Amino acid sequence: MREKATTLYLGPQHPGITGNMMIRLKVEGDTIVKATTEVGYLHRAFEKLQEQRNWLQSFTLMCRFCVPETDPMEESYARAVEAIEGREVPERAKYIRVMVLELARLASFMLWYGGQNGSLGLYTMGQWSVGDRNYILDLFEELTGGRVYHMYIWPGGVRRDLPKGFEKRVIKVLNYLEKRLDDYDDLMFDNAIFKKRTQGVGLVDKKTAIEHGVVGAVLRGCGIKSDIRIDDPYEIYDQLDFEVPTAEGGDIWARALVRRQEARQSIRIIRQVIDQMPGGAFYNQIPNPLKWTLPKGDAYVRTESVRGEIGLYLVSDGGNKPRRVHLRGAAYVHAVSLLEDVLIGENVADVSAIMNSLGTCPPEIER
Amino acid sequence: MNDIKAKLTEHIKANFPGAAEKDFKGENRIDFSIDKEFIPSVLTYLKNTAGFIHLSHITCVDWLEEGEFEMIFIIWSPTDKLKVFIRTRIDREKAVMPNIDMIWRQANTYEREFREMFGIQFIGLKGAKDFLLEDWEGPPPMRRDFDTAAYAKDAFFERPGREDALDVREEIIKRSREEIPGFAKKYSR
Amino acid sequence: MSFFDLKGTLKPLTALKQFGKKPHTIEYPKVKKEAADRYRGFHFNDLEACIGCGNCSTICQNAAIDMIHIEGIEGINGDSGLRPRIDHGRCCWCALCVEVCPTGSLSLTKDYLYVSDDPDSFLWVPGIDNPEGKNNLSFTSDEQSLNDFKRISMPELEGMERVKSFAEVVLGYNEEQAREEASRCISCGLCTEACPEHMHIPEYINAIATGNDKDALRIIYDNNPLPEMCGKVCTRRCEDVCAIAVRGEPVAIRWLKRYATETAISSDITREIVNPVIKEPNGKKVGIVGAGPSGLTAGYYLALRGYDVTIYESNAKAGGATMYGIPKYRFPIESLDKQIEYIEKIGVKIHYNTTVGKDITFDKIYKESDVVFMGVGFPKAWTLGIDGEDAKGSMQAVNYLHEINDGEEVEIGNKVAVIGGGNVAIDAARVSKRYGADVTILYRRRVQDMPADWEEIEGAEDEGIHIVPQAIPIKVIADKNGKVTGIEYLMAEMVPDERGGRPKPVAIEGSNKVLEITALMGAIGQQADYSFIEGTEYEGKIKVERGRIVVNEDQQTSDPKVFAGGDAVNRTADAISAIADGFRACKAIDKYLIEK
Repeated sequence: MREKATTLYLGPQHPGITGNMMIRLKVEGDTIVKATTEVGYLHRAFEKLQEQRNWLQSFTLMCRFCVPETDPMEESYARAVEAIEGREVPERAKYIRVMVLELARLASFMLWYGGQNGSLGLYTMGQWSVGDRNYILDLFEELTGGRVYHMYIWPGGVRRDLPKGFEKRVIKVLNYLEKRLDDYDDLMFDNAIFKKRTQGVGLVDKKTAIEHGVVGAVLRGCGIKSDIRIDDPYEIYDQLDFEVPTAEGGDIWARALVRRQEARQSIRIIRQVIDQMPGGAFYNQIPNPLKWTLPKGDAYVRTESVRGEIGLYLVSDGGNKPRRVHLRGAAYVHAVSLLEDVLIGENVADVSAIMNSLGTCPPEIER
Repeated sequence: MNDIKAKLTEHIKANFPGAAEKDFKGENRIDFSIDKEFIPSVLTYLKNTAGFIHLSHITCVDWLEEGEFEMIFIIWSPTDKLKVFIRTRIDREKAVMPNIDMIWRQANTYEREFREMFGIQFIGLKGAKDFLLEDWEGPPPMRRDFDTAAYAKDAFFERPGREDALDVREEIIKRSREEIPGFAKKYSR
Repeated sequence: MSFFDLKGTLKPLTALKQFGKKPHTIEYPKVKKEAADRYRGFHFNDLEACIGCGNCSTICQNAAIDMIHIEGIEGINGDSGLRPRIDHGRCCWCALCVEVCPTGSLSLTKDYLYVSDDPDSFLWVPGIDNPEGKNNLSFTSDEQSLNDFKRISMPELEGMERVKSFAEVVLGYNEEQAREEASRCISCGLCTEACPEHMHIPEYINAIATGNDKDALRIIYDNNPLPEMCGKVCTRRCEDVCAIAVRGEPVAIRWLKRYATETAISSDITREIVNPVIKEPNGKKVGIVGAGPSGLTAGYYLALRGYDVTIYESNAKAGGATMYGIPKYRFPIESLDKQIEYIEKIGVKIHYNTTVGKDITFDKIYKESDVVFMGVGFPKAWTLGIDGEDAKGSMQAVNYLHEINDGEEVEIGNKVAVIGGGNVAIDAARVSKRYGADVTILYRRRVQDMPADWEEIEGAEDEGIHIVPQAIPIKVIADKNGKVTGIEYLMAEMVPDERGGRPKPVAIEGSNKVLEITALMGAIGQQADYSFIEGTEYEGKIKVERGRIVVNEDQQTSDPKVFAGGDAVNRTADAISAIADGFRACKAIDKYLIEK
């Protein structure tokens, strides 16, 4: 006998998700038959506000698009502005940028470790990884003056040079994290519960992935090798040696395996960057920000964040303010239409785990 | 790369009347403007035949002064490592676009957003009317003629305590009894 | 996967090996964490160093910074008297306010915790509400600032090249340089207070920065009818108080004005651009004595207001001291002519070669006009007052300049000494150099005390002029024909002034030196010439004190029908003050005649 369908309102709070969004589920028993995402809890109209702020003021808003990983947005904005203006960026600044981006990825992976396990009720992992993330945040604090909102990568380069001995402290943290990642494996990837709860859950097949323009680890989890850092390289990624891990299966487990490898690749990249770090200027100074205008033009830049490719489209009409800023985060792709499709047929208890695995970040959807 | 670009350019120009190439140097990007009627067919061609399987971005720019919206579709070919921009201009007053969410299901999200934020109608678009906003009855807020500051002033109250703020320039003008002609004021900070 | 995954059940238990290990993130007993050296905590403002330019308030994208009056801080020249107050409910700690602070007074501290019971305590005046912040600074603009401290250098003729002729030394900015220089300005407006005429400086600079040169020229002409002259030779007190100058080179306000005026290459184009509204003639007559900057200014703006203006000028050309006192390599004659032509086209009548008191009586002007404005200047030089001063070849620098500017030739030989440290001294020296003389400037005080423009002093040095500071001339030596052959002077030491004034030069006994010369020029100051009213009924009616005409704040003399301005009235004795006097007088005259 068919069970009676019930409507279930899930959210707006979810374990392991930064930000709020609600999902209206139609369930029969424990099985979801229809899911409708309802976003709108976090709309701050940043893009509209940026149209009313000058080119430099706008930069301070970029990091706020997504809390767990703020630097890719800053970097996108800086790179888009530089592309429109034709501003040169010193080599050292590019290396520092990549270091910051990869540190940000690491920090974000740490949050994901916690969130993914937390959503399955495995709380020890969260205690560990979020605690270890603090070491990265300490580095950010020393480098940029902020722990979460760095406002560090800006048009023309970066805001301050590396403090003395900073590279050594980064290496120290990397050495520590490398050991810890092995501990994480014991707790997570060798864990029977984790395997059971993730294998075959939250499936995204290749066809769906293309229909939905899926990006990042979710795409790589379907066995498609794709990474903006390789395909459409920016900064100095084309000079670095790293691998793009993939996994087959398209389930939470496959995506977790991809991220597990990626965290290690990030460490590998940071080590290379520190080894090759050139000297010289870190900033090609912009003119007086109050009178800074950009020539007419547009730029579309893409950056690989932990959640996947983010794209920023920036238009200048020749004035001192952006004509249009449009940031499309990975969560915009994954957490609305794709999530609605993926959830069908899944168990209610797995919704949070699936959301986390797709890189759901509501502030990035709503902007 | 240049071969691929040239071949694609040629093909698009031959098959889609009115397609105009926009000059863009440097990046791995080609840029076309095209009539909005051809948008679904050119995107279908690019996706199914030319290998541009990845929908990277859809965006809308409000050219208020020209009375037009510009819709831009940015697609990516993972094999050719090439971005293609397809742009079209539509009338701001009667903003209607063909729907493309059957080509990429993903487009549905963008279209819902543009319907809400710019007031653009997509023919046959399904999905809840409210996306980011809730019970919004005002003008579409991402249109450039929507004044956010005025809206905020209307909708919220100022917390008291800051009324004594002064303008530096005004203060100096007052002190030195300078008289600024009206037309010059727009150049004050 | 089997039904029971033994490895998968046991492996997580290895977490137990962490048991008993020292925790990483929490320490007992609790240790207070020191924030990083760059931490962006609360604001601190050094109230002494702050000049209240308000740039922090402008850049704040959250509108979190208000500029407010603080008790005990008064606005003075170069300080608006306002100080920033932060609304911490809005602040996002981006620290752009710190990066744009031109003085570097605003910084962030390492403090990041603040707890208060009072919900209204979110407003803070940094520096007053957290004075202890001074010892706890973290994010400062010492390493990196968003202000552009470096001025676009002005293209000039090379020093040895320029002494060969009277070609203009300063070449002027081109469009790109002007835009770039203009965009350094932060539009605070502190400069407008320092300018005697209160020109609308931030507005016209912004117009240049945004590429609207015509608007810039219109704004400039709003209260200055001789801007090209100011753009070339103004004493530019505005640049002294420029906010950028606190830590860098001031915005080249003068050169930017020059750029804007040079975009109009003729008086017709000037008129086309400025396109001033000229009111219908109102039938009232204004007579002006002297076509110097003050007289021309009063005349121009009165003519715009519909008055019938006539200027009486004793020389063949208008411009007063700016025509006859300034060498042509600084201020070419074409440039002045263009401006005078423009003023005449507006309807100001100028009678040249008409000396009041000789060719026309003051009484006649007084009776024919509804109002008289006197801009008579300081045409007569003070003499040195030392022995032998009347020897042949000993002259006054201002007379020398006058004659040279009049196209005459003056015999100066090949060794010239100039006495004085003002602009007239430097001008006379640089002109003499152009006539092939070896020039020495003798000045009582140190080089840094010289009242001349520093750029002029540098220019003189570049051209190979010797400056002998702390030299007090005591005697002019002449040969038997009465021709000057040398100057004897004493070296001086600087003695601090007990009353707190500037140090005084005191001659050192026995340090006598003699400089061999063929000409001597005195440039120690000028005075007025009131001979045109001496002995008439006006001598008593128009009050003169210590050589200066006494006026009220409307430039009105003790005779209500007579107004005055320029060097004969103010104490600053520069062209821009004269223009200010003229403009003020114009407004007062307008009011006076309408009320009458």
